[in-house]
Amino acid sequence: MFDLATVFEFTRDTVILTVGITAVLASLGVILCSSPIYCALYLISHMICLALLFLLYNAEFLAVVQIIVYAGAVMILFLFIIALLGGRKEVQENSLERSIAFGLIFTLLGELYLSATVGPTKQIEGTINSEMFGTAKAIGLELFSKHIVAFELASAVLLVAAVGVICLAKFSFTPLKRR
Amino acid sequence: MGQEFVLLVSASVFCIGACGFVIRKNPLIMFMSVELMLNSVNFLLITYSSFLNSLDGQIFALFIMTVAAAEVVVGLAIILTIFRTRHEMDVDHIDALKG
Repeated sequence: MFDLATVFEFTRDTVILTVGITAVLASLGVILCSSPIYCALYLISHMICLALLFLLYNAEFLAVVQIIVYAGAVMILFLFIIALLGGRKEVQENSLERSIAFGLIFTLLGELYLSATVGPTKQIEGTINSEMFGTAKAIGLELFSKHIVAFELASAVLLVAAVGVICLAKFSFTPLKRR
Repeated sequence: MGQEFVLLVSASVFCIGACGFVIRKNPLIMFMSVELMLNSVNFLLITYSSFLNSLDGQIFALFIMTVAAAEVVVGLAIILTIFRTRHEMDVDHIDALKG
């Protein structure tokens, strides 16, 4: 008969498969929709799928951060800009350049997959040993001990971005004359 | 689920994002495609941090999220500034490097 561990493993694999395929389909929706507002909604669904996958791969803290930072803050920013600029539809025509781009990208996909699968990285056997792998406590301990310099640099990056945006928003530019 | 599926999902999403960046003309959607690429790399880092039983991948993903947030804010401000001076949203028409 089935024991509980097998059933659990099977259910987990099924959920990962479904959510992963949904994430790929949602990302296809982002680049194929004409209207920017639908693109933004597809991107939100893609990010929620990714957050679910993070949860399934023992990254609870990052799943929450993904929902709050990406699906919350960044996408709301995108939606505000779309509302401000007007979500005009984009005419999509099929040209030779576009076919060339598709061909190049699919070649890139094949190369990426091949080069990633033949590499020497092997999954470690056994389960995660620590109870708090991926929790906020573990991330915090790691972040403030081993990666403290990178953390401070990240704060500098955010500060510079904020100052840059204020400069861009504050000084007005004269309209450009067409030649 | 093994690492082949994870690699395939991540590579597909990355390539879809690169494709969107090349074929779309609306700068907002080009930014969304960049977000797709960054997210696929995040996903790979996090799954491999789980496979290899090390927290470094998750820290890397956290920093990538920080940089992505900063990049989106600056990029959207630049798009707004361009829109204020030009009143059109097609990257093919933005070809003069003087303001």
